Amino acid sequence: MMHFEDCFRLLHERLKTELIVTSAGNTSELWWEISRETERVFYLEASMSLASLFAAGIALGNPEKTIVAFNGDGAFNMNPGMLFAERQLDLPNLKHFMVSNRCYGSTNELTMPFSHSIDYAGMARAAGLLRVYSLTSLDELDRQLDDIIKVPGHTFTVLNVEPLGRHAVSPPLDGPEVKFRFGRYLERNGGRRIFDTPLP
Amino acid sequence: MSEASETIARQIVESTAKCGITTIASLPDGWITDLITAYARDNRFRHLAVNREEAAIGFCSGAYLGGLGAMALMGASGFLTCIYALTKINYTYQIPILIGITLRGRPGDSAKFHQSNGLYLDSIIQAIDMPFIPIERREDIPKIGVAYAHSRTMTRPVVVGFTRELLRGQA
Repeated sequence: MMHFEDCFRLLHERLKTELIVTSAGNTSELWWEISRETERVFYLEASMSLASLFAAGIALGNPEKTIVAFNGDGAFNMNPGMLFAERQLDLPNLKHFMVSNRCYGSTNELTMPFSHSIDYAGMARAAGLLRVYSLTSLDELDRQLDDIIKVPGHTFTVLNVEPLGRHAVSPPLDGPEVKFRFGRYLERNGGRRIFDTPLP
Repeated sequence: MSEASETIARQIVESTAKCGITTIASLPDGWITDLITAYARDNRFRHLAVNREEAAIGFCSGAYLGGLGAMALMGASGFLTCIYALTKINYTYQIPILIGITLRGRPGDSAKFHQSNGLYLDSIIQAIDMPFIPIERREDIPKIGVAYAHSRTMTRPVVVGFTRELLRGQA
């Protein structure tokens, strides 16, 4: 198992140009804690299983950009059918990372009793996804990350991590501020026009 | 597909295209299968058949930030499963989307398992302060564009509801 924080530090060091969508709880909190980024990241807290499909919508409109989506295993278990929708879309610029800490990280790390018996990568393969990874060490992540991110094609990657073991702080941004910072960043950097009123 | 329902589906599709919507995410209700088929066959649209209605909300919300016009299309019962996604994602972040639903449970709908929608759908939409525009006659179809524009103006979801009579080409 990877140390959760080390895993995210490595991802943050390597993912410098991608657009990021984080999910509720630990993925949002930890990315904010490590990066302090407020523009290329959409902190989709209260997403409850929809982060990767939200990211898919962004990816569909921005085929020249790589979109990285983070889900927790709690979110994944609410809606494993997300795999079928992602398979159908087959967006080459959507990179879905599912962080498996086998607990509900945003709610005091309460254990998920059924989590130890689930083969998430096997589920993804059975759903027809072609590029599926399941990583348990930083070395593996370090070696495979370029293949996951830089080779075009939808990927689903299970990041097997230890529970964070502490509380982390949510990004101090209200929803509309997240939207406008992210959207204006995209508009400034070659994305389609999002808002009806452009900034001068 | 009857000729009348096909004509109505085509008019709805044209109205949707005219207002700039290019992305449709749907989950079927028996009343809108012709309409979903029409979207899926029209290469002006990217159609995604979702696994559950909340997925349509998440995907269409992201499509807005992708600079794409999007509509989530579903039955009334499916819409009621989306309250959490709508109030959390769309209200928290002020993300507009257009939602098309069936107006199940109205007098004339003989499906007993849809009568709860007749009882509670309107009041639930009102309870979350979501603008609602019924599409009951073919003259109402251009209101789809009005609803879409309104959602962008107020940066919130707007729902349009299709009656059975309209979708059958009888109104």
